[in-house]
Amino acid sequence: MIADTGRLLLVDDEPQILRALTPALTAAGYTVETAATGEEALTCMAGEPCDVVILDLGLPDMDGKDVIQRIREWSEAPIIVLSARDLETEKIAALDLGADDFVNKPVGVGELLARVRATLRGRERRFSSQPSFHFGDLKISFPTRRVEVLGEEVRLTPREYDLLRTLARHAGRVVTHRQVITAVWGPAANVDAQFVRVLVAQLRQKLEAEPSSPKIVLTEPGVGYRLKADDDA
Amino acid sequence: MNARKPATGAYKSNWRYAAVPGIVLVAAGLAEILFRTTHTSRLGSVFLIATLFTSYWLGSGPGYLAAAMGFVIYNIYLVGPRFDLALGATESFIALGSFLAVATLMGSLTGRVRDEAERAKTRASTTQALLDATRDFAASPDEDFIRERLAHHLAAAAKGAAVVREGHSLFTSPLELARLDEPLPLDLASHTVDGEPSVATTYVDQWTLRPLFADGSALGLAAWRPEPGAQLAAEQQTLLEILADAGAAAIARVRLAAAKANAESRVRTEELRNALLSSISHDLRTPLAAIMASASSLEEFGDSFDAATRRDLTATIQEEAERLNAFVANFLNMTKIESGAIVVQRTPFSLREVVDRTIRRQELVHKREVVAVQPRAAFEASGDPVLFEQALSNVVENAIRYSPPGAPVQIACSREEGRAVVRVTDSGGGVPPRELARIFDKFYRSSGVTSAGTGLGLSITRGFMEAMGGEVTAENRTGPGGGLAVTLKLAVAE
Repeated sequence: MIADTGRLLLVDDEPQILRALTPALTAAGYTVETAATGEEALTCMAGEPCDVVILDLGLPDMDGKDVIQRIREWSEAPIIVLSARDLETEKIAALDLGADDFVNKPVGVGELLARVRATLRGRERRFSSQPSFHFGDLKISFPTRRVEVLGEEVRLTPREYDLLRTLARHAGRVVTHRQVITAVWGPAANVDAQFVRVLVAQLRQKLEAEPSSPKIVLTEPGVGYRLKADDDA
Repeated sequence: MNARKPATGAYKSNWRYAAVPGIVLVAAGLAEILFRTTHTSRLGSVFLIATLFTSYWLGSGPGYLAAAMGFVIYNIYLVGPRFDLALGATESFIALGSFLAVATLMGSLTGRVRDEAERAKTRASTTQALLDATRDFAASPDEDFIRERLAHHLAAAAKGAAVVREGHSLFTSPLELARLDEPLPLDLASHTVDGEPSVATTYVDQWTLRPLFADGSALGLAAWRPEPGAQLAAEQQTLLEILADAGAAAIARVRLAAAKANAESRVRTEELRNALLSSISHDLRTPLAAIMASASSLEEFGDSFDAATRRDLTATIQEEAERLNAFVANFLNMTKIESGAIVVQRTPFSLREVVDRTIRRQELVHKREVVAVQPRAAFEASGDPVLFEQALSNVVENAIRYSPPGAPVQIACSREEGRAVVRVTDSGGGVPPRELARIFDKFYRSSGVTSAGTGLGLSITRGFMEAMGGEVTAENRTGPGGGLAVTLKLAVAE
């Protein structure tokens, strides 16, 4: 478990949201910086880099998606989108632009903190050269491409393995259909999201005890998939 | 005119033939003068010229007549012996031959020229008819107008009658055609081949039936006939068919334009609905999110927070719950206004009291000063004090929202032209002039404004004011401070 410390940038144009979230995030051990506009957020990031960004998509001066793009031009800091918009396309666009995860308003601080932790852990996992992934019954050894469930080897096709590896690299966080397609079929592939669904179903058949009620590869309706990596997310 | 044409033709040709002897006599007179002055008898060319002119002016028939008469007179009168028809002479046969040859040649030449001129005239009138028709068709975005004009132009081109039919609508020219006993061969059902609407032109009695087709869809049926007994010339029939097709194309164009406008209005409705949904979603979820965040923070970390933080969080919960409540109330008010379920009292009430109360409440909620410019003499307005307070509150709230922090919001009461007037002036940037009329529209938010607000407040104000027989207007203030002035007017209680 990583300690809940570091600088956290909270971007929201509604002062009451900032006021409501700041105490809990501070109590959880983060140094909280707040910004009410996209410009403020970018200025804050340019000053002292933040370890994680919580970003509302509806900002008064610029689209939240543009803020993500601008941050991603030079920073790999994890970004969690916090938005009242329940439009799937908005979320997917934000994720495809490089956001790490999303949380719908209204959200309890417990869930928000869990997402922040998962995102930070996922970052570390993605940029480390950890040779294996282990959570629950699932174990993956990356150098040998060996996948085990409850100690028994599971044979996967190359595509199924690519899918699982991608999900594991982002464990605990949502991976969009587009990201799966890019990782499995390549960035230029013109593949329908339906293919992703079929591939996920195949993978679940091999990994899940009960493929119809998955416990390892979870669905984020309309957005993508998430590999379960901790107990609270 | 088809029926009249033969008569006119006969009259014309009689006149033309009657003119021939005159021309020949003039030629004979001329020849006589030349004979007397020059004593030459070789004057056949005079009669030749007469024949030439006759053929040119009057056509080949009179030309032949002139040739024959000219020959006879020339022979009797000039070819010796004089005053004797000497047919035996070779010279006379040469003269006759050349007279006839000239007449024939000129006749056919002038005939051709005349035919050409006639055709050019027909072409010009055809072009004119098409031009008039297309100009008419382009003049209106209304399908039925085009059908009516099409019937008119078809009847004119057929020099008879025409009918255009679409479904149960019937357009006739002349107008009284439908009332005549004449059976109209226009049953669309009968105009089918194997149950499919026929694409081909068909003929029933005198009528020509042509389906109106454009872009593969049936647009009705056009039919025409000439005057009873008359025939349609081939060019006329072609013109009529082109007219019918042009009409069909015009109808198709109108339909396409209508479909386009329809689609655009659907897109606008869709945009409005999306704006409404996102507004409601945002305005409901933001307070909810603050309440949830505060409550869950208190639950999870309550013990580690200091007293001030705890107080702050509970205050947030309370304020946001109030905001939610206000939003729901606004929404209900809007619904009430729209469904007409609003109950309006008309009682005299003290304007000053309501204004004071509104100012106190707004100052409390927004923690800032609202400046009141009181009327000198308190007077009573006639209306519903509860509704008026709500209407005024929405305007004041709006003024506070769009004024920079600390800048004054002024409320002035006055009596103008027998009406009670309350004017609220803010210190904001005003509203672009072309948007002024729209700020009272539901869910309307001035462009470039992204701050909180439902876009309902001012529309509720207008709804309430109108329900009380009052009015609300907005104007940009010129001069120092700028800002927007919203004026509420009510009747004064007598």
